[in-house]
Amino acid sequence: MAHVAVMEPPAAAERGAGVYNEKLGMWIFLGSEVMFFTALIGSYIILRVGAPGPWAPPGVVLNIPVTAFNTFLLICSSVSMVKAFASIVDGDQQKLKFWLLATILCGATFVGIQVYEYAHLIHRGFLPSGIREGSELAELVARGTLPAATAGIYGSTFYTMTGFHGFHVTCGVICMIWVFFKALRGGYSATDYRGVEVIGLYWHFVDLVWIILFTIVYLV
Amino acid sequence: MATTAATFDQVGHASHVDDRSFIRKYIFSTDHKIIGIQFLIMSLLFLALGGALAMMMRWQLGFPGRPLPGGSVLPETMAPGGVLLPEFYNSLVTMHGTFMVFFAIMPLLVGVFGNFLIPLKIGAPDMAFPRLNMASFWVAVSSGIIMLAGFLAEGGHAGAGWTAYAPLSETPEYSGVSLGQQLWCVSLIVLGLSSMLGAVNYIATVINLRAPGMTWFRLPLSIWALFITAILVLLAIPILAGGVIMLLFDQTIGTHFFQPAAGGQVLLWQHLFWFFGHPEVYILILPAMGMVSDIIANGSRKPIFGYHSMVFAIMGIGFLGWIVWGHHMFQSGMNPTLGQTFMISTLLIAVPSAIKTFNWLGTMWRGNLHFHVPMMHSVAFVAMFVIGGLSGVFMATTPVDIYIHDTYFIVAHIHYVLFGGSLFALFGAITYWYPKMFGRMMNPFWGKVHFWLTFVFYNLTFFPMHQLGLHGHMRRLYDPTQYEFLRALQPINRFISISAFLLFASQAIFALNFILSWFRGRKAEANPWRDNTLEWSVPSPPPHGNFAATPTVYRGAYEYSVPGADDDYLPQHRRLPTDPAPAPQPAGH
Amino acid sequence: MDLAHRKPHPNYLAIWAYLFVLTIVEVAVAFLSHLPRNLLLLALVFLAVWKAALVALYFMHLRFEGNRLRILAAAPLPLAFILVLAVITEFRW
Repeated sequence: MAHVAVMEPPAAAERGAGVYNEKLGMWIFLGSEVMFFTALIGSYIILRVGAPGPWAPPGVVLNIPVTAFNTFLLICSSVSMVKAFASIVDGDQQKLKFWLLATILCGATFVGIQVYEYAHLIHRGFLPSGIREGSELAELVARGTLPAATAGIYGSTFYTMTGFHGFHVTCGVICMIWVFFKALRGGYSATDYRGVEVIGLYWHFVDLVWIILFTIVYLV
Repeated sequence: MATTAATFDQVGHASHVDDRSFIRKYIFSTDHKIIGIQFLIMSLLFLALGGALAMMMRWQLGFPGRPLPGGSVLPETMAPGGVLLPEFYNSLVTMHGTFMVFFAIMPLLVGVFGNFLIPLKIGAPDMAFPRLNMASFWVAVSSGIIMLAGFLAEGGHAGAGWTAYAPLSETPEYSGVSLGQQLWCVSLIVLGLSSMLGAVNYIATVINLRAPGMTWFRLPLSIWALFITAILVLLAIPILAGGVIMLLFDQTIGTHFFQPAAGGQVLLWQHLFWFFGHPEVYILILPAMGMVSDIIANGSRKPIFGYHSMVFAIMGIGFLGWIVWGHHMFQSGMNPTLGQTFMISTLLIAVPSAIKTFNWLGTMWRGNLHFHVPMMHSVAFVAMFVIGGLSGVFMATTPVDIYIHDTYFIVAHIHYVLFGGSLFALFGAITYWYPKMFGRMMNPFWGKVHFWLTFVFYNLTFFPMHQLGLHGHMRRLYDPTQYEFLRALQPINRFISISAFLLFASQAIFALNFILSWFRGRKAEANPWRDNTLEWSVPSPPPHGNFAATPTVYRGAYEYSVPGADDDYLPQHRRLPTDPAPAPQPAGH
Repeated sequence: MDLAHRKPHPNYLAIWAYLFVLTIVEVAVAFLSHLPRNLLLLALVFLAVWKAALVALYFMHLRFEGNRLRILAAAPLPLAFILVLAVITEFRW
């Protein structure tokens, strides 16, 4: 088989989706991911609409500046990912490695900041089960700044949604490291950049989910 | 570069010397046919286990309080002195449902036949992602092991029903179970991963790997059904996974998703579960419908009646399946306006279902009927599906549902659809494709004996349940005699139980026929049923890589009894002088 | 695919700047504006969808793909809306 044909839909087949198998498979998988996050985010929306009282106002529990910076990081990692893709499409191996490494660093930093955020929140008394007795946040509840009735589901939904998003980022970083090592060995070229494109699709999807999460969890 | 091109190239090169080791060939195989057979063995074992659990339940219902014959081998925590404990009975109900739905019928339909049939019928050498396919099987096995481990858990296995309604499933105070319920959750999450990997594979394969000439409207109906089913699996399973993860978190890390006291919503679980659960119902019947369509056309020696309407009916069922989930929740306290909407959308499903039923009848009408074993099972499927479908219309109508909700009427309904429907189709399909899987025929005489015994005892078991339900006999009931008004029904219960034992015993014939034919069955030729589709154009069993050269397809799958043809069937790959020449193959093929 | 016939890449840095500006606008709207609650919600969701669409169209290249892939990518979205909207009617309608 000529090398050029690798990036085409499978030869000797009826006309399909018009893209090669791995890319098609990733898009199908992302459809499944959409439904998975629908279950988590949808439950959050439903619980919030049906909540027995007012929800915590934005910025009281969660640290918005830190998360805004994290959002910025993830957007940067998305652009570095797409730059890596553009580089290998043009056959530039050096730039591919550079941009992949940049993406890995941004993604890993994102996860690191999220872990820091979690540790800080737990320290202040924000748990998946609600507000810890005697903590800093418990005082806010006592003063009436933080509604007590919805604190439990606030913690439940916050940690579940952002936790699974963080898990997806972590998986993405691990896969990206694998792609990076393959790129170091010269595993990709202008005629076969399947791995880079496919991991890129996943990465942008995870970024996209974060864009939604940042708005509806932190800002609303 | 060269290495990636080479791995990618395996798809497309069929005939090479097969020098894989035993482990690569049969254990960690990436060959879709072997994976299909692995799924077959796994799910038949779970089918037998699920059946055995049902027998224990039937013993308790028919003869409440009497020691189960052989029950003394069970530990004290399950059945002291052989008498089943109520807690253990709850686990039996739960695990019978769980095993049958998730580990028997679903893998039998999707795992076995999706794997085995899709590449063979569309003319592909293997799945689009063979290694993911292998992973899918082994992930399913580990999920099964986790589920089985629940029986050993302290406090017993999950006991909140296969639907695991919250808050019953949430706290040990309600169900008496903690670790078992958690293992149940973990197992289903792992199984969801397996199903998702499989679904990605099936969809990509059907879209991208069809042989030249295999246009969408030349696909056999079994492939259409499996394709739509794979889409349902892909989009429904993650909803279940999400819900089960929340349930697991509620049990373990103290979240409050389904706990109303802390602001959670009990109905949220039911909505999530049934938003998955209703597409799941169609996951469990659509592939059966597709395979039955293939077998009925073959057994009638006639083209399938209304091929296009069949395809659109499959799509219609596949879509409507998403907007009917609320009909499981009419009695849950759900918004009544929503109930009305769900009633109407549910009744709409009767339309595509009826289209399919009439098309099957139209196919058989004035056909040259050959009642081979698969055909008998398929005809039984149509009849039983009609009964199950009609009782479904009762349940879907809100005023009637108030009366029969959560009674044995629904037990009868689900078994008419799942056993009378899916399982009959599966017995037919296993017999039909057995020669292609193992290269030998199953014994037709014992096949017919098995069919008639199963058909008779099946109806004797499940039909009286309608009656029990209308009398108000609750489902999942441990001891019917504790209620005055149910005592008069005890003879019916006993009758059902004895029929069920005979039904279960009849399955031994199938098991023996299955196992013995593997070694001693008559050697099968390539096309024993004189069928048209591509899998019958290759030897039985097909070699690794399936097709020596990529086949070209010239027509649909159902060209039986074509006027003027030499034979009463016309395979899809046979080129007639009137057919256009195949397109030139790309270089390298 | 011939290298010479490739279309030039879209200006990814411009998209990045676009996303960056939208994020700042979003945070500003959330904390500095005094819009009524419902309008604020609408504005924030609109901005989030706008950003998500930019990522999908440019970074995930949906803008440059064939219609078949676009349909495939959009297919799950209606189901997500059906689920959430139907269940919300339990509380508000």
